[in-house]
Amino acid sequence: MTVELVLLITLVSGVLAYFAGRYNKLYGAVVTIVASMFVFLSVAYMAQDINSGTTFNYNAVEFLPDFTTFTVSYLGIFFALLVTFVFAMVSFFNPFFVDKYKYPAVYSMLYLFSLAGVLGVFFTDNFMVLFFFFEFIVWSGLFLIPLGKSKKAALSYYAFSTAGSFALLYAIFIMRDVTGTYNLYVGLGTVSGTTEGTYVMILLAFAAFAKLGAFPLNVWLPRALGKAPDAVTAVFSGGLEKLGAFVAVLALVKLAPIGDIQGVFGSYTDATFMFASQYIIATLGAMTIVFGTLMAIRQDDAKKLLAYSSMSNGGYILVALSIGGSVGLAGGFYHIIAHALASAAAFLAIGAVSRVTGTTKMSELGGMIHKMPVTYMVYLIAIISMAGIPPMGGFISKWLIFQAVIDNGLILIAVAVFFGSIGSFLYVFRPLAALFLGQELPQHREHSKEAPLFMLLPMLILSVLIVYTGVMPNAILGFINNVMAELGVNALNLGSYTVNGTSGVLQPTLIASVFGVGVLIAFIIFIVLKKSKKVGLMDTYTAGNFIYTEELMHYSLDFYAPLERLYEKYITITEDFYKKLENKVVDFGRMVKYFFFTNKPEITVFWIIVIIGFLLWGDL
Amino acid sequence: MVDMLLMILAGIGVAFFGFVLQTSIAGVNRKVVARIQKRYGPKWYQEFLDIFKLLSKRSVTHGWIFDFGVIMALGGIIGTAMFMPLTSTLMAFDGYDNFFIFVYLIAVGMLGMAMSASGSGNPLASIGVMRALTTMLAYEVPFMIVVLTIIKYTGTSSLGELGLFQQLAGNNWFIIALPLGGIVAVMALMGMVGKKPFETYIAPAEIASGPMVEYGGKQLGMLFIMHEITVFIEVSLFVHLFLGGAETVLFFIIKYFIVYTILNIISSVYGRFKIDQVVLFFYKWPLIMAVTQAFIVIYLGWVI
Repeated sequence: MTVELVLLITLVSGVLAYFAGRYNKLYGAVVTIVASMFVFLSVAYMAQDINSGTTFNYNAVEFLPDFTTFTVSYLGIFFALLVTFVFAMVSFFNPFFVDKYKYPAVYSMLYLFSLAGVLGVFFTDNFMVLFFFFEFIVWSGLFLIPLGKSKKAALSYYAFSTAGSFALLYAIFIMRDVTGTYNLYVGLGTVSGTTEGTYVMILLAFAAFAKLGAFPLNVWLPRALGKAPDAVTAVFSGGLEKLGAFVAVLALVKLAPIGDIQGVFGSYTDATFMFASQYIIATLGAMTIVFGTLMAIRQDDAKKLLAYSSMSNGGYILVALSIGGSVGLAGGFYHIIAHALASAAAFLAIGAVSRVTGTTKMSELGGMIHKMPVTYMVYLIAIISMAGIPPMGGFISKWLIFQAVIDNGLILIAVAVFFGSIGSFLYVFRPLAALFLGQELPQHREHSKEAPLFMLLPMLILSVLIVYTGVMPNAILGFINNVMAELGVNALNLGSYTVNGTSGVLQPTLIASVFGVGVLIAFIIFIVLKKSKKVGLMDTYTAGNFIYTEELMHYSLDFYAPLERLYEKYITITEDFYKKLENKVVDFGRMVKYFFFTNKPEITVFWIIVIIGFLLWGDL
Repeated sequence: MVDMLLMILAGIGVAFFGFVLQTSIAGVNRKVVARIQKRYGPKWYQEFLDIFKLLSKRSVTHGWIFDFGVIMALGGIIGTAMFMPLTSTLMAFDGYDNFFIFVYLIAVGMLGMAMSASGSGNPLASIGVMRALTTMLAYEVPFMIVVLTIIKYTGTSSLGELGLFQQLAGNNWFIIALPLGGIVAVMALMGMVGKKPFETYIAPAEIASGPMVEYGGKQLGMLFIMHEITVFIEVSLFVHLFLGGAETVLFFIIKYFIVYTILNIISSVYGRFKIDQVVLFFYKWPLIMAVTQAFIVIYLGWVI
């Protein structure tokens, strides 16, 4: 099984899904399930091969042009395994959502096309191929997002992604200019430490920021994720956003860092030593964490809230990758996994609710737990991981990231990291309280029921994995050690059950079992005492008022109002900046039109001649 | 396997010890506060009587999440307390008393309680939970920065080792060695244990005790136990981090008693902040002081 073959099968099944979808919507969706499961399994098979040390000839297909080379590296496998898994899990949702879209057949096709793009990006060692598949994903996304609620969201996504793609393209051109080859590893290796390396670093970082939705390129993320179809949102947050993390690894780890600050600050850098480039990116990552958290706290739409949480978690990944070292890098990679699983599960749970109620606005929902208990449990496990609470996966990664931050003595970044960590309790709890708990609203009481088994299946698998990553992280951390060895970083020190950080030891299995013992004791106390009488939700203490409508007894609108009031004046700063930028671009366009494209053609011709003359100066 | 069981039993013993210790000291403190207010005050074991009375009473429930949340809350807190070292060398799980476990495992209990309270369907409970989480956002960041300073300075995040570090340095407690950080930590501790002026989330006369409004009987009794153990964890954290740990259990109890009593005395002369005032308060001076302290220790290397 070669990479080309898998790619080809994915693309062909994409076309097949289109025709099947034209025949019957459902068949198209079923094709996406089969194809994405197949892709995931073949990537898993490759992972097994690379673990056992088997080498392949991955250039077996004769008819492809010479430069189209693919290679299987640990780094590629790591990302591909994760993203294809998210695609495979989310695909189970497709049959239940296709009838909501205007063009169901196109949806099924584009879903598989973006999957093919993912494979191409992670498995190539050629920059032009990387760029091609990068754009392939952008274009698929451009047509996937408008199938949801809004067309403008897709434009915003496209604008930022294209800016990122162009940055990537220029970086490729610079490397091509220096090395004369499009090979990824040769290119990155050669420019490291040179002046060109600085430009490449900046451009690649720009591309990574655009894809991750990190500050200051964050505007598209909540718009696109909030408005895209429910299944696409899960794929974007759990999968496609991780492309940004991949590019960030290229920029931050594969390239030699720039800006030795030790010479400038002397002995003050003994405690904390980072290169200037890494420090700037870590600072931007920290700002991403804070802004994402603050914005997530004040959202009313559950999907937008989770979108901002994705942004904030992207900030964690950037901070961890830029700090580097074995603990920081392992934390970053583990956070990529933990966040992908948790956000996919959370988005799927919200999607399941939106399927029966038709809304994701928290102010219009309440008490869904009584009809959808399993979905609730899935969401609960996902948010425990997102908030970084043991015994879930998010705790391990956050613990590693904290270690790295503390060990480097990065005080201001630590403020952001801790703020984001505590802030995540606030925002993830909000959908829990407003959407799932609280009063059961009458408008959803009749027709809402638990999601069908086929939809629960991927959610439950994701939940089991979230718990697994929190209880037994060592197998996955071992794989991450392989990835880090390939990147030339020292391995994280692992015991048989323990994880060793720089300033302490963690035994996740012990924490989970002690927590289990605690719950068991509490359960015994609870069960031996007298049984309680069940009363309705409206039968509550109201300080003597008589309230008979559920809405009045449901506290969900502006949940954190006192906190929001403190910063609501400043929330539109980034959006305003881009608005102003847009106006400036339009103004510039008008000016160009005024000078060069007047209604007198001779002026236009004159300028064209002047410009051509300028360009050809010296040659003539 | 047997080792493991013994360790777990020891852990349960620590949690039980914490419960008894904190409940007794809380009872004594009710007397202390009463004397400040020129009252006689209840017997020192009144807290025990309250809890056992509640546990024996018949109560109402608002659905399975209401009960499940209470179990998760008490379970999470008992689990956290099992890791707590009593002296700097006496603990159930030797070597695993990592600081971050306490900060984050305690959050499971908090989440369980918040979930249960919201599940009751009472808006006052949800408001209380909102305020509790907002208060947490306020006090946690300055506190974590101070702890960052300590961990960076000593190179370990194990509570026992941190206590030993201070004892080996000639009882150079961090509350003295890091004076700015020590003040911040006291303020953060006031927020953690919910003492005035940071008790906005309970606010009995304003939002009917907030998260607790719907509880009665065994659920309330279990949440009382949970509250006592939570306070035990938080005050012990302070003792181990800032007061040089403890050489013997007796020292631990004395230090613990002094810290908790001082908190109560401070608390009894203050009014209550509004919730946005709590946030503004902590993000002004405590945060500035914590960052200054961290800067002084990490970059300049000045420690008293």
